[in-house]
Amino acid sequence: MAKVVVDAMAMQRALTRITYEIIEHNKGIDGLVILGIKTRGVYLAQRIASRLKQLENADVPVGELDVTQYRDDIEHDSQDTDPQVTVSKIDFPVTDKKVILIDDVLYTGRTIRAAMSAIMDLGRPKQINLAVLVDRGHRELPIRADFVGKNIPSSQQERIKVSVSEIDGHDSVEIIER
Amino acid sequence: MAQRFLILEDGSIYPGQGFGAGATTTGEIVFNTSMLGYQEIVTNQIYHNQIIVFSQPIVGSIGIAHDAYESILPTAKGMVVRDVTDISKNRQRSLSLDQFLKQHNIPGISGIDTRHLIRQINQTGTIKGSIVDVADDHAFDQLHATVLTNQQVAQVATPRPYPNPNQGYNVVVIDFGLKHGILRQLSKRDCNVTVLPWDASAQDVINLDPDGVLLSTGPGSPLDLPESVLDMIRTIQERIPLFAIGLGHELFALANGSEITKLKLSHQGANHPIRKIITNEIIYAMESEEYVVDPDTINRDRLITTYLDLIDGSIQGLRHRDYPAFSVQFFPDGAPGPNDSVDIFDEFIEIMGTRE
Amino acid sequence: MATEIQKILIIGGGPTEIGHETELDAACVQIIQALKKYGIRSLLIDNNPFSAALEDVQPANMFIQAVTADNVQRIIEKEHPDAILATVGGVTAISVIQELQENGVLADNEVQTLGIPADAMMDINNPDRLNDVMRNVGMPVIASETVGTLDEAINVANKIGYPVIVKPIAPRIDTNRMLCETEADMISAVSRGLSWSRFKQCVIEQSIVGYKEIELVSMRDTMGTQVLVAGLENIDPIGIHSGDSMVVTPTLTLSNAEYEALRDTAFAINNQFRFTGVVHTHFALRADGESFYVTKVTPYNDRGTSLAATATGYPIAYVAASLYLNQKLTDVHLPDIYHFKQTALLEPSLDHVVVRIPLWPFEDVTNADQHLGTVMKSVGSTIGVGRSAEEAILKALRSSQFSPQDELPSMSNLTDTQIISQLIHPLSNRILVLLEALRRGYQVDELNELTKIDPFYFVKFKHILDIEEDIRMHPMTIDALHEGRYYGFGDGMIARMWQTDIDQVRQLGRNNQISPTYKGIEPSAGELQDLPTAYYSTFELENESEQLSDKTILVLGRGGNQLGPNASADYFTTEMLKQLRKSGYQTVIMNTNPNAGSLTATLSDKQIIDPVQLGDIMNVIGIEHPVKIFVPGNRHYLTRELRRRDYSISILPPDQEKRSELLNDHANIGLDLFVAEDHIVPILASDLRSDQGIATTLDQITLMRTPATLTDQQLDKILAHAKEYLGAHKRTGMVQMLYTTNGKQAPQFAGVRPTRLTTIAYLNKVTGINWVRMLVRQALGELDEDLIAKWAVDIYSDRRSQVRGTFPFKQLQLPDQLGLTTQEVGARISFETF
Repeated sequence: MAKVVVDAMAMQRALTRITYEIIEHNKGIDGLVILGIKTRGVYLAQRIASRLKQLENADVPVGELDVTQYRDDIEHDSQDTDPQVTVSKIDFPVTDKKVILIDDVLYTGRTIRAAMSAIMDLGRPKQINLAVLVDRGHRELPIRADFVGKNIPSSQQERIKVSVSEIDGHDSVEIIER
Repeated sequence: MAQRFLILEDGSIYPGQGFGAGATTTGEIVFNTSMLGYQEIVTNQIYHNQIIVFSQPIVGSIGIAHDAYESILPTAKGMVVRDVTDISKNRQRSLSLDQFLKQHNIPGISGIDTRHLIRQINQTGTIKGSIVDVADDHAFDQLHATVLTNQQVAQVATPRPYPNPNQGYNVVVIDFGLKHGILRQLSKRDCNVTVLPWDASAQDVINLDPDGVLLSTGPGSPLDLPESVLDMIRTIQERIPLFAIGLGHELFALANGSEITKLKLSHQGANHPIRKIITNEIIYAMESEEYVVDPDTINRDRLITTYLDLIDGSIQGLRHRDYPAFSVQFFPDGAPGPNDSVDIFDEFIEIMGTRE
Repeated sequence: MATEIQKILIIGGGPTEIGHETELDAACVQIIQALKKYGIRSLLIDNNPFSAALEDVQPANMFIQAVTADNVQRIIEKEHPDAILATVGGVTAISVIQELQENGVLADNEVQTLGIPADAMMDINNPDRLNDVMRNVGMPVIASETVGTLDEAINVANKIGYPVIVKPIAPRIDTNRMLCETEADMISAVSRGLSWSRFKQCVIEQSIVGYKEIELVSMRDTMGTQVLVAGLENIDPIGIHSGDSMVVTPTLTLSNAEYEALRDTAFAINNQFRFTGVVHTHFALRADGESFYVTKVTPYNDRGTSLAATATGYPIAYVAASLYLNQKLTDVHLPDIYHFKQTALLEPSLDHVVVRIPLWPFEDVTNADQHLGTVMKSVGSTIGVGRSAEEAILKALRSSQFSPQDELPSMSNLTDTQIISQLIHPLSNRILVLLEALRRGYQVDELNELTKIDPFYFVKFKHILDIEEDIRMHPMTIDALHEGRYYGFGDGMIARMWQTDIDQVRQLGRNNQISPTYKGIEPSAGELQDLPTAYYSTFELENESEQLSDKTILVLGRGGNQLGPNASADYFTTEMLKQLRKSGYQTVIMNTNPNAGSLTATLSDKQIIDPVQLGDIMNVIGIEHPVKIFVPGNRHYLTRELRRRDYSISILPPDQEKRSELLNDHANIGLDLFVAEDHIVPILASDLRSDQGIATTLDQITLMRTPATLTDQQLDKILAHAKEYLGAHKRTGMVQMLYTTNGKQAPQFAGVRPTRLTTIAYLNKVTGINWVRMLVRQALGELDEDLIAKWAVDIYSDRRSQVRGTFPFKQLQLPDQLGLTTQEVGARISFETF
C-alpha cells in the first residue's frame, strides 16, 4: 500500500519555500555552498541551486557527498553500523563557508552525522545548516533540520519513498506500508 | 431597450442601448479582455468608481450564478458591452444579468463598438466617462465636474470585523475591498478566517494571534491610504507570515520602500504570460493593474522580485528577504481567470505550517 | 537530441476524404516554412495531387506515394531522416507510425518521433489506454470495456446498459464513435468497428449522448510551458459527431469555473503524455456543468486546430514546428506579418464570435442517409465571423448554402410531425429546422429538451427571426437596413425580403452612411495596437482595413469544401496567390473555409473572412479598388453580376464559360493543351476511365492514366487534329480534347472541354510545370515567347502515372458504387506502379 503524501506540485513548492528560507536565514547567498547527499539529495541540491541562481543571478557551488549507508527504504540487519562517507565530489573549499547540507529524508540522523564528519575533514565551515525534503522523526542522534519540506510523522514499520524526476521519472514522496 | 450614451471626457459619444439600471453614472473607463466571467468581474470591488468595458463579445449568456459572486453588493459604475443576452439559469429562473444590475443600481450599455473604444482608450490613456440618457453639454459639464472619490477602500471594505470559522490555520484577512475568491480559497484549505477592516492596527491583528495574515485586493490607489496601514504591515511582517494580493501587494511594496506608479493605461485581463522567476515556469492569471510597483525603486536588500509579466514587463510578485512575507499583483484565486497560480495559497498554508 | 535534427520526414494527409480536407495540407505548408527557417530539410510523402505542400519541397524531397507503413519504411531506409512527423497526416499517419514503432523500424533506423513521444503514440487512439491515463491523473472516466468478439461485446453492453457507444481501437479511418440504442445496432457497429481496427478490437462504453461537447486547443513545449489557444463549443450535443456539429468559438455558455477546470485537465493530460506542439482535447460536459469526461485527445493538427488558428490569428502549425525542435514557447519567433510580435505566449482573447457550419455531400450523393449521428458525414465547413452570435451564425449560414444568390432555403413545407421528428433525429439541414420550429412558436425550454442544445442559442435564433420580421415589415428603411446588416443579414437577403434588387439596398446604405467596418482578427482583443492581415466585416464605428495599394488583385476563394471540382479549388487558389504576388501584385483573398490553405496569412497580403457573396464582395471592392478580380473555377452568378457592374474579372482556368462542345457523351482519350495567343502547346495525352473501368458518360471519367494507349501514329494524328481544331475555334487557357478509340481504329473526335481543376493539379505533378501559375501569367499578359519556349513538355514521354478520384461512399455507409466527377471528395496520384 503506497500513499502519495507529497505530489509533484507540492515538492516543487517545498523546494521553492526552502530556497526562500535559505535566503531569509542567511541574509542572502554570500559565502553559501550547497552539498547534496547522494543520490536524491544531490538532485534536490541542484534544484535549490538553480532556484537561487534564478532569484539572485549568481552561482552557488554545489557538491556531492556519497554516504555509504543503509537506506531508509531497504531492510537492514543492523542500525548500529554508522554510515561512512566514501566518495565525494566537492571541487571548492568549505572553510569559512556557510554550508547547506541537503538530503531527501531525515530519519535517525546518522547519515547527517557522517556527512558532517566528512565536511569537517575537508575544512572548517563557518556554519552548517541542514535542509531536508522530508523529516519523518525517529531520531537517534541530537540532530534537527533547519529547513524542512514536509514533516511526515511515520511509524518505523512504514518506509518513505522519495522519487525525483531526474532518475525516477516523476516527483513524489510516498509512504509505503511494509 | 432605451437609447443611452456613453460619453468620454475627450468629447466622444458612443450611442448604445441601456440595460440594467437607468442610473446616470460617472467613472473611470477601464477595459477587461477576459473572455469569461462577466459576473465575477462586475462584482469585484476593485471596479468601484469604474465603468468596465468588456471585450468579450457577449455577456449575460449564463445569467447570474450563486457561486460567482466576488462581492454581494457590487459598486462598479457601469458595464459597456457589445451584446447582452437576457438569460436566467438559476433554479428560480429569476435572475438575469439585466435584473441583477437593476437591483444594484448599476447601468449597462450595449451595442457599443467596444473594440474601437478599447483601441481609443489605448491612445488616450485612462479617461473618465459617463453613461447618460442625453449626450448634451449638460452631461459633459457634469462629467467634467465630477470628482471621483479617492476614499474607495473605506467605501467598499467591511467597517467591522467578521469571522469565517473553520478548523485549520488561524488567518486574519485585512479587507481593502476583498474579492470572495480569496475567502473561497482559504475556506477550501480549512482556514479559520477573521476579516478585519482595512484600518485595523497591528495590535488588533496580533490580538487574534493568527498563523498568517493576508492583505486583500481592493480598489484605487495605495497612495490614498494613510501611513498607518504601512506601519501595520511593517510590524506584522516581522512577526507573522504575510501574503498580499493586488492592492495588498502594492501596499506591501510601499511599506518596504518601493514606489508605486500609475500606468497610463490599466491592464485587465488573463492573457499575459507571467514568469515565475524562481522556477522559470510560465503561468497565466487574472491581472488587474492600474498601479504597479516601479521596478527601479525596489530596494533589493529587502525585496526579491518573484513574478514578471512578459508582455508589459510589470512586476507581478515580491518577497521579503528577511521575513516569510510575499505578495502578488495578479489574482491567483481564479475567479475569473486560470487556476495556474492557485497553489500560491498552498504556499501560504505551508509557510504557516513551518512556523507552528 | 532534437537540436541535431537536419532531416525530417513529414507524413502527408493523403487524399481528402470525410474526416479531413485541406487543413492537414495547410498545416504542412506552415510547418515546412518554419523548418526551412531552421535550416532543416523536409521530406514529404503524400499522394494527394491537390497538396500545396508538395509544391514547397524540392523534387528530390518529394515522395508521391500512398501513405502506407511499407512506403514510409522504404523512404526511411533509403533517406535516413533524423525524425518523422505525423502531426499533419491525420489518423492515417498516426496509424503508420504506430506500425513502424511496433515493428522496430523507427528504432532500428534511429528515427525519432516529433510532437508525440514514442510511449504516448500507442495510447492516443486507444480509448482503453487513454482511460488508464485519465485515472492516473485523477480524471473521471466513462464506464467502458474492450472487446474483440461479438459475444464479448454483447456481454459488456448488457452490463453497461443501452444505449452504448462503440469505438474501434486504432482505426484506419477517422470514425469517432457509433451510438447504439439496441443490440442489433451494436452488433452491426461492432462488426464494422472490428474491421476498421488495426487490432480487431473495439471499446464499448456508456453513452453520454446529450452532453455538451467542448474542445480545447492548446500548445505545449518541452519545458512544459503551455498556452491555451482556444475553446470550441459544439452547439450540437454529443451524439452528433463534432465534425458534423455547428461549432462556436469562443465558448459562449460555460462559466469561468467550468472552463478553467477543462483547461486544467487538458494541461494535466498534455503533461502526462509529454506532448509538444498542438493538442486538441475533447470533453463531454453534463448539462448542469457538475461533471465532465475527456472523450478524445488528438495531439496533432486537425479541423479543430485549424478552426482555432483561423479564429484567433494564432499561427498554430508554425509555432508547433518550432516546438517540435525543442524551441521554448518563450523563444519562438514568428514571421513579421504576425502582429503579436511579443511572443507565442499571449493567450488569445477574442472580441469576435466565430461559428462553423458543416457542408454536406447530399446534393451530389443523393442516396445517402442524411441523419446526423456519431459517424461524420460532412465534407467541409464554412465559418462566419461577427461581433455578435447572430452575425456569426448568419454569415456562416449564408456561406453554407448551395444557392449562389445569398438566400436561405425555406423549411415551411415541413409538417409539424416532420419538424418534431427532425428535432429529435436531426438531418443535415438542422439549423434551418431549428429556425422553422421557432417560427412556429416552439418554446426555448421545449426545444432545449428535444435537442439538448443550450437555451442561449435558441434565444439567439429567435432574435434572428425577430430581426428578419422587422426587416420584412419595414422595406427600404434606414433603421431596418442598419439592423439587418449589423446582425449579419446579407444585402441579397434583404433585397429579397424587400422584393427589390440588391443595388437599391446598397444605394440606401450608401446614401445613409451604413458602411461596413472591417475588424482585425487578432488575439489581443484590441489591447495591442498592431494590425493583423485577417479581417471580417461588421457595421460599427471604426474601420481598421485601409486600401492596400493601387495594384491590388482580389481573389474570390471557393468557400467551404464540397464534392466535385471544389476539392482541388483551394490548391488552385493557393498557387494563384503565390503567382500574383510574384508578379508584383498585392493580394486580397476572400474565403470562408477555416481549413483552407489559401487563407494562410503568409500567402496573401490581406485575408477577408466574409461570405463570398455579391454584397460582401462589393464591400471589399469599395475599400480595396482592385485592378482585377480573380475567380478560381467559375461562379456564374457572381461573375455575371460583377461584370454587369463593370469590374474586371479573370476566371481561371479561362474559358470555363465557353463550357464544352461535345459531339458525343463518351470518350476514352483525353489530350490536354495550353492555348496561348499564337501557341498551342500539347501537355499530356491520357486514357480516360471510370473508377470501375470503362466510362460510358463523361461524368464517369474520374481516372486518368498516362501514357495513353495510343500508337505514336494515333497520337500524332490527334495532335494534328487538336492543333487544327483549336486554331479554328478560338479558346484560351487550358482545354481537354476528347477522343474515342477502340484500339486499332483511328481516334474519333468527341469534343472539347475546359481542363478540369483536378486535371490541372495532376498535370502540374506529371510535367513539373506549374500550369496554374502559367494561367495566372497568361491572364496578367505575362506570357511571352521566351517563357513558352522554356516549357519542356514531352508529349511522347512513357513515364507511367495516374490520378484517380476518391469517393465518400464508405464513410456514408453506401455500397461501393460507380463514382461520378461530381461525387469526388479527393483524388490520389501515383507514378510508375498502379
